[in-house]
Amino acid sequence: MGFSRYVLRRLGYAVIVLFVIMTFNFAIFRLMPGDATKMIIDPMFTPEAIAELKRQFGLDDPPIVQYLKYVGNLLKFDLGLSFSTRRPVVNELKERLPNTAVLFLTSFIFTTIIGISVGVYTASKRGTFGDNFVTGAGLFTYAVPTFWIQLLLLMLFGYYIPILPIHGTMSAPPPDGFLLQALDRIHHLILPAGSNVIVAFGSWALYTRNTMLEALGQDYILTARAKGLPETTVLRHHALRSVLPPIITLIFGALPGMVSGAVITETIFSWHGVGKYLMDAVMQQDYPAAQGAFYLIALAVVICNLAADIVYGIVDPRIRVGEGGAK
Amino acid sequence: MKLRRFLLPVAICLILAMTCGIVTAQQKVKWEPYGPQVDQIIMPIIKDSEAQLIAFNRGDVDVLPGLTRPADINKIKANPNAELTMNYGFHMFYLCYNMRRGPLDADVLRQAIAHVIDRDNIIQTLFEGYMLPMATFVPPSSGFYKEDIPRFPYNPEEAKKLLDKAGYTVDPATGIRIDPATGKPLRKMTIFTPTYEVAPTSAELGKIIAEACQAINLPIEPEPMDFPVMLDKLDMAEFDMYMLAWGLSRIPTSLHSFFHSSNDVEAGYNRPGIRDAELDKVLEALYYAPSEEVAKKAADEAQVILARRQPYTVLYSRPYMDAFRKDKFTGYVPMHGYGAANYQNKWTTLNVKPVRGKGGTIRWLLPEEPKVLNPCTSSSAYEWEVLGRLYDNLMEVNPETMEDMPWMAKSWEVGTWEPEPGKKGTVVTWHLEKGIKWQDTTPFTSKDIKFTIEYLRDNKVPRYLSSVNEVVKVETPDEYTAKVYFSTESYWHLYHADLSFLPEWIWKDVKDYKTFEPWLESHPTVPGLTKAIGQGPFILDQYKVGEYVRLKKNPIYWRLSK
Repeated sequence: MGFSRYVLRRLGYAVIVLFVIMTFNFAIFRLMPGDATKMIIDPMFTPEAIAELKRQFGLDDPPIVQYLKYVGNLLKFDLGLSFSTRRPVVNELKERLPNTAVLFLTSFIFTTIIGISVGVYTASKRGTFGDNFVTGAGLFTYAVPTFWIQLLLLMLFGYYIPILPIHGTMSAPPPDGFLLQALDRIHHLILPAGSNVIVAFGSWALYTRNTMLEALGQDYILTARAKGLPETTVLRHHALRSVLPPIITLIFGALPGMVSGAVITETIFSWHGVGKYLMDAVMQQDYPAAQGAFYLIALAVVICNLAADIVYGIVDPRIRVGEGGAK
Repeated sequence: MKLRRFLLPVAICLILAMTCGIVTAQQKVKWEPYGPQVDQIIMPIIKDSEAQLIAFNRGDVDVLPGLTRPADINKIKANPNAELTMNYGFHMFYLCYNMRRGPLDADVLRQAIAHVIDRDNIIQTLFEGYMLPMATFVPPSSGFYKEDIPRFPYNPEEAKKLLDKAGYTVDPATGIRIDPATGKPLRKMTIFTPTYEVAPTSAELGKIIAEACQAINLPIEPEPMDFPVMLDKLDMAEFDMYMLAWGLSRIPTSLHSFFHSSNDVEAGYNRPGIRDAELDKVLEALYYAPSEEVAKKAADEAQVILARRQPYTVLYSRPYMDAFRKDKFTGYVPMHGYGAANYQNKWTTLNVKPVRGKGGTIRWLLPEEPKVLNPCTSSSAYEWEVLGRLYDNLMEVNPETMEDMPWMAKSWEVGTWEPEPGKKGTVVTWHLEKGIKWQDTTPFTSKDIKFTIEYLRDNKVPRYLSSVNEVVKVETPDEYTAKVYFSTESYWHLYHADLSFLPEWIWKDVKDYKTFEPWLESHPTVPGLTKAIGQGPFILDQYKVGEYVRLKKNPIYWRLSK
């Protein structure tokens, strides 16, 4: 199968998956027990006011009409009005997405760089103190709950050694001047992003270490060493290169987590992002807001999976050949 | 409104305050109806409770409002720079019975259950003493509170005697009391609560009360459940008992919503399903009272009937606990009903000032995102923490007496008129102070009252519909007099006509109030202002979403310090 056909086929799958998700996204909140308007109705509202509220949000339409309106609006990327704020969900997500993206791209970049580097290092130093220490630390941070480590860091650097900001993305109010504002934002990023790196680097390090160890036991590595190549060349150009495809897949697979995994970090560090928005929306049965946030996450997952498939097809041609047979 | 028979709650508050080193509204605090004393309020938005405590203790915020967890209160008390204030609120936690079906349709059974509830022990065990026991249907901080009502204090022996006397004898075979109405052992009953994950103390309370009932041979079990499922079951009246809380107000019209038989409908607020002709008559007299005196009399009678019949057993009230950095600020005014740091307590907003020097910036924590700063659609307390400081009302509440006091209206009259022959309606006449200006310097006049009420009524704004849907017309005989005509007769229309007023020249062109974002749009003529303007002591200077809100002192405020 040619590469373009392979990409088109993957794109088709992605569209079908997205449509199914859209439908589930609509149904799941309506199947949840409880009446959404309960969360926004004041005990003193008259029956007339309650009926007016339901009319304004289209909740008095039959479900099929609501569904058709929902699909039609979604295709225009109109996610409706939030029940709790009466604001367009798109605007609310737009306000939050940059913060989530900054926090988790920073965390993600540092986590992967540190995790993979540590994994390569420990694989090359197998059995040494450094290997045992890093493996132990990685396992520890991987095993303990994220919020526990984050609260510990909050107490440590927020109270006992109060050198880091503990909430928000900037000082209130921020300093004047572009450079000072940029530094202020970086200062605020250290604790949340740093805690994410501490929590997540272990799994990357352990995964890289294990795949590297497997690669280092292969005959071609023995051949490379027998040729007298320096150890760093063997590690970088032979061992690491051979384990790159699964790591790349892992990178793309983990990217959607930057949105969905945001809830805890954003809550603890009062980071104004999509994760907390999703959590609040679900708790308040705010259908449009929750649907919008889920749709965004679903879109991220589908796009990342599509990207992973395409990149995997590039780095390992056997994948696209295997799908449609040899051309 | 006079606050009478206030001695018991005052005593409880004082005892708690003395043992905890907390300032309450009973302690004389100096306040004056002028201000504000600070130049700026910065409201950092910090959502995590641990981060809030750290921010307060290290001085990032000067005001930490609405403390609820005993552990947090203890941590604040350990800070020598912190001062805690505690005040009765309008919160009420209660156990509700379904009176539509047996055996809980029998008054004596509900009264016996009320007797086995040990409020003091519950408050000590679950809340380390930081709740106030309450057994009345109107909170003690309301001027309509009645102290002298039938009570069922903790006394399990008295509960057993009541049941024995009413024929609920214990079946020796099962150990369960026999229902005299059927001659069979009582059926198993359940207490619904939210789950331990959602509301741990409510779930635990359900367990404690069920065990206390079992000790007097009543087959009652706790049943924690998913909150939306629970609400659905309550709407369909498919329950025996449940536990929840209400946030009330100082006006007792909620008694009509909660206990009048006309509200015993699907999803209605009369959840116990009480249908009592005598009570209905009293509640109607309360709801349509032509004067405060009539309202007070009806409220008293309603409280006596409700206390006797026990459709709810009220357990406790959560006080407002607010923390201030006393090393940096002073002048906060503890106030029953609203606490010291709530926006409805105008007096702290006006009187709080730095310990050293003048003006300055106070940092006032916001525990949640305000999200929407549109007075028509804002519904959360966090949004009104901001908006409430931009607007003034026609009346205010005196923090010491809890009586209505003149504010933007220097006086008012509540009278009657004839909307149609033979029918009585209410007319509220407001006489406005002169010299009040909107923050863009436009004078505030009676035309603003007329515009706002008509705008809210014509657009059917749900938040205000119950206040304005009975308004027939608004007349403005002159710039400083507004007459609001209601189609029904009720003293409460006085409060319905006091709103957060909208500037006509901004709102008249707003076609869809739901999507209007006044805090994001620049003022059409005055640079530096947004379209979210009021007549209040502070101007909205900046709302950085997710980060902070900055309010600046209104330089043309009509009540600036002399």
